[in-house]
Amino acid sequence: MSPLVRIAVGANLLKMSLIVRNALIALFITIALAGTVAYAVSYLNRARINELSTIEDQLSIDILSLDTQFSLLETAPCDSAASSTTLSSELSNMGSRLSYAENQLGSDNEHVIRLKEKYSLLEIRDYLITKKFADACGTKPTTVLYFYSNAGDCANCDKAGYALSYLHDTYPILRVYSFDYNLELGALKTFIALTKVKRDLPAFVINGKQYYGFTSLADLEKQFPKGALATSTATL
Amino acid sequence: MPCWNEAATVAATTNSLLALDYPKEKLEIILVDDGSTDATPAAMARFAKHLQVRIISKKNGGKHTALNAGIAATRAEFIGCLDADSFVEPDALREIIPCFANTHIAAATAALSVHTPENMLQHMQNAEYIFGIAYRHAFASINGLYVTPGPFSFYRRTVIEELGGFRHGHQTEDMEMALRIQQAGYGIENAPRARVYTKAPNTISKLIQQRIRWTTGFLRNILGEYRGLIGNTRHGVLGMLVLPSALVAIGSGMVLFFLMLFTLVQNALTALSIRAGIPLLYAYVPSGSFDWFYFPINVYLLLGVTTLLASLSFIVVGKRISKTPGYIALGLVLYTFLYGLVVPLWLLRATADVTFGKNRRWR
Repeated sequence: MSPLVRIAVGANLLKMSLIVRNALIALFITIALAGTVAYAVSYLNRARINELSTIEDQLSIDILSLDTQFSLLETAPCDSAASSTTLSSELSNMGSRLSYAENQLGSDNEHVIRLKEKYSLLEIRDYLITKKFADACGTKPTTVLYFYSNAGDCANCDKAGYALSYLHDTYPILRVYSFDYNLELGALKTFIALTKVKRDLPAFVINGKQYYGFTSLADLEKQFPKGALATSTATL
Repeated sequence: MPCWNEAATVAATTNSLLALDYPKEKLEIILVDDGSTDATPAAMARFAKHLQVRIISKKNGGKHTALNAGIAATRAEFIGCLDADSFVEPDALREIIPCFANTHIAAATAALSVHTPENMLQHMQNAEYIFGIAYRHAFASINGLYVTPGPFSFYRRTVIEELGGFRHGHQTEDMEMALRIQQAGYGIENAPRARVYTKAPNTISKLIQQRIRWTTGFLRNILGEYRGLIGNTRHGVLGMLVLPSALVAIGSGMVLFFLMLFTLVQNALTALSIRAGIPLLYAYVPSGSFDWFYFPINVYLLLGVTTLLASLSFIVVGKRISKTPGYIALGLVLYTFLYGLVVPLWLLRATADVTFGKNRRWR
């Protein structure tokens, strides 16, 4: 091989190695970017789940707190200072977070399912204690039990849920309790059996009266007792 | 310099060539009138007595024929092409010629940006062109260039003669020549500091027309005569990565557009349906404070943001390495918010043209 040919081959090898080097650098940058994105998403999802775990802890404490409050008030149920639960707004906040987490992480996510179970338990407890106070003290709170399904068998559940959110935000007096009809939770199954709600969703129990389906906000409002939808402060 | 009805700019373009900082005895300027029907011949005639300038008039035959006529009229070792609506910096040629030090290099491209951008569309294109400076600089390092743009690309004469001159190339003679150079195994270099400014379309219809020509040219060349380059290991990164990626980019650009449109319409209809009958003030006026918990961060959003940031960084890098003057801030904003909306317009029409065999006029 002549010196000239050797130089040419050497130059080609140098050029090839430069191209390979540049391609490898590009590959490395691409992997680094994609890796950073994957890590960031994973980190944020973990943070979201951590927040859900915090909510879960809060729910456990709230359930215990309600239990304790329930027992304490056995002796003096109509003590005006003690006979109201402050969970209504908290429940609403947790409910919207839970609903968002369910959309993001999927309804079959184990964290979401466990949270929904605890959330449903807390709602049932809050409903029962509210009812007990009302019976004992003669107050008339407006309560709505709302049963929905995420299994694709309830075409109007999204509309009904949004309408209820509007009613709850507009009339803070309302106590709205939402339940996933399909949730495998013994207490909820018993609650559904006791309230005699049929699997015709969306279903509402407004102050004990059943109402099925959703056509419009106006029709739903008609199901509420007179004066129930007022912007005055809650009686309970 | 091939010209067809370029009376408005041909004089300024020629003057910029005459102002090139290069030994006059080594620089010939050949103006080729390709059968113009406007005042181009008269505008050219003003340079007739200039020692460096030669004027050729011929019957209209298309840009590639004008280029070949110009090439045939000279024995120069390196031949440059400059569109008659573009202007060069005085040092541009000095920046380009050293690219040919390696005998493997058959062509070299310059650094393009928009000449005096005025409206929003031109500012957006300026950012896009400057993105192209960084892109070409990076791709030249892996011999991945497949276009030698009309504004001030240079060619080694012997290679052009070996390959047989310019062809019609589906109205993209610059791309066809670059692909032929790559197919023959030569390299294409880039001179990022050889600044050239070109007139950019000032209306959306002109821009779409121009980009349809570019995109159909690419598709027809790459799916036709140069299909063999795709996936060909002999052509290295160009065959294995650059050309397949360019094809995927066209396809994914359209798919993403339809996907975005479908999702947008579907979400809007769902939102409207859910909110039907609810008072407007509650349903459509946002309330409450920001809560990161509800911020919809996912892989697609972050990948999109990363790609956008990478593109914007490329523009900033392109401006720095080419030392292109002027402000780019407005261009960056418009590139971010406008570019993605207009690109699908020509991708769809170009793909339809190629699919149904429709040909359009150059302009």
